[in-house]
Amino acid sequence: MDKHSAEMQDMPQWLLKEENYCPQSDRDAFINKSILSLLSILSRIKTQGAGAKGKYSVNAAFKVAFTFLLLIMLSVSQSSSFVIVVIVYLLAALSLMEAKTIVKILKVSIVMTLFTFVILLPAAVGGNTYSGIMITSKVFATITAVNILSRSTGWSSITSALKRFLVPDIFILILDITIKYIVMLGDFVLNMLYALKLRSVGRNISKYTALSGIAGTMFIESKEMAEGMYDAMECRGFTGKYYVFSQFKFTIADFAYIMMNIAIFLGFLYFGRT
Amino acid sequence: MIEVKDVSYSYSGVTALRNINLHIEKGEAVALMGPNGSGKSTLLKLINGIVSPDRGIYRFNTQEITRQKLSDNKFAKSFHQQIGFVFQNSDTQLFCADVYDEVAFGPRQMGFDETEVENRVNDCLRLLDIQDFKSRPPYHLSGGEKRKVAIACVLSLNPEVLVLDEPMSGLDPRTQRWLVEFLVNLNKSGKTIITSTHNLELVPEISSRAILFDENHTIAADMPSEKLLEDIDLLKEVNLVDQYYHCHQGTGHKHFHDHNF
Repeated sequence: MDKHSAEMQDMPQWLLKEENYCPQSDRDAFINKSILSLLSILSRIKTQGAGAKGKYSVNAAFKVAFTFLLLIMLSVSQSSSFVIVVIVYLLAALSLMEAKTIVKILKVSIVMTLFTFVILLPAAVGGNTYSGIMITSKVFATITAVNILSRSTGWSSITSALKRFLVPDIFILILDITIKYIVMLGDFVLNMLYALKLRSVGRNISKYTALSGIAGTMFIESKEMAEGMYDAMECRGFTGKYYVFSQFKFTIADFAYIMMNIAIFLGFLYFGRT
Repeated sequence: MIEVKDVSYSYSGVTALRNINLHIEKGEAVALMGPNGSGKSTLLKLINGIVSPDRGIYRFNTQEITRQKLSDNKFAKSFHQQIGFVFQNSDTQLFCADVYDEVAFGPRQMGFDETEVENRVNDCLRLLDIQDFKSRPPYHLSGGEKRKVAIACVLSLNPEVLVLDEPMSGLDPRTQRWLVEFLVNLNKSGKTIITSTHNLELVPEISSRAILFDENHTIAADMPSEKLLEDIDLLKEVNLVDQYYHCHQGTGHKHFHDHNF
């Protein structure tokens, strides 16, 4: 008997035959839905701030500072004219972004505004119409402002900008690491869900066992990653101090952005008096 | 059996595959080679129906595989039974409590009775020489052992095509040698084997045909493995071999090395 036929004899008979298999239908839409939602979160984080270059390349520190100031002014102001000015300003800023991003931002803002409107409807019907309209408009402006900041600025730029506001370095490090590991563990879970999908070739009577297996494996993986990172940081002489460096370069876009926001602040003072 | 025609694919606007044309016959052993990020893994994902082409056609056994077709639960399950995928990172593929359950996951879903399931699982464990780990949790195994368990899980479905994404990476030389012989035997038993690898030394052993990707995400060459490995200029062009001077017994000379050394 030659070596080849000996090897073939070693292979089980079922493996040498073609599988005549007709699968039963099974309800496992949860795998596809989980894959889709994970994909959308990961692609959001990975592409976040990618469109920030070019016409909307304002320094992240200014964006964070003025967005924060804008939110405070919006909350404090009692003037409907000021809220309208802010909304016009935000819509103008929004128009500088890509069409796809505009749709995404407006979708969130409009849904949240409608939700607020429904909640405030009884108060508005009961006579508090002005407050109802003001709160709804403020919710729209606030969510749009935060979304513009989030969509036009990368996470790393936002965390670096926090350094300028005297946020402790260790806090910035924790934020940076969290974002990094959300992506890494997200990729890992995504591949596990792909594997589960590819291996789910029939009726799975214990779907939740597979899902708990995925959760357990992810926990072990995250623990190993954390231990690995701790060891690596010790080896690199980490003593708890984390330095965030950023090269600051003042551009015309920064100047225009600051001027615009000073105008908004003056508007806040002006309308606040009336 | 597998036909990829004018296929292009991109992730969030970044091109991963550009105008790929490929035909793989039943029983072939094919190696995909190319530098990192050239599109090998994406093509393997496409062949397994994890991603669908932005442009072009992918056919498996003359049937076009589209996102719409794969949304048909029965069709998707039948398709996934016929093509087995071994992921590059075995950890992502293992989620059951012990090795036995892991290998039995597929056969149980296929509706076999428990005796048949047990036979299949034992056959796979024997073939991959992992009988001793039967009752151990997969996360306690070494990298090579996990890879063997991942292959056993896929093999227990008895797929017609076995797709392996860089199966040799992270394995010690002895396990690599074992895996090469195992893949050769599987191919001889009639399975179609598609492997992506950087290990040029092993390419002629695990495949009769090699497909070379370049950094433009296109296929730069598709020819017999032995012939492709002789084309040093082409391999240098796609960054798969380096050329440098070093000394042997006091004499300096030029030498080619693939990226495993």
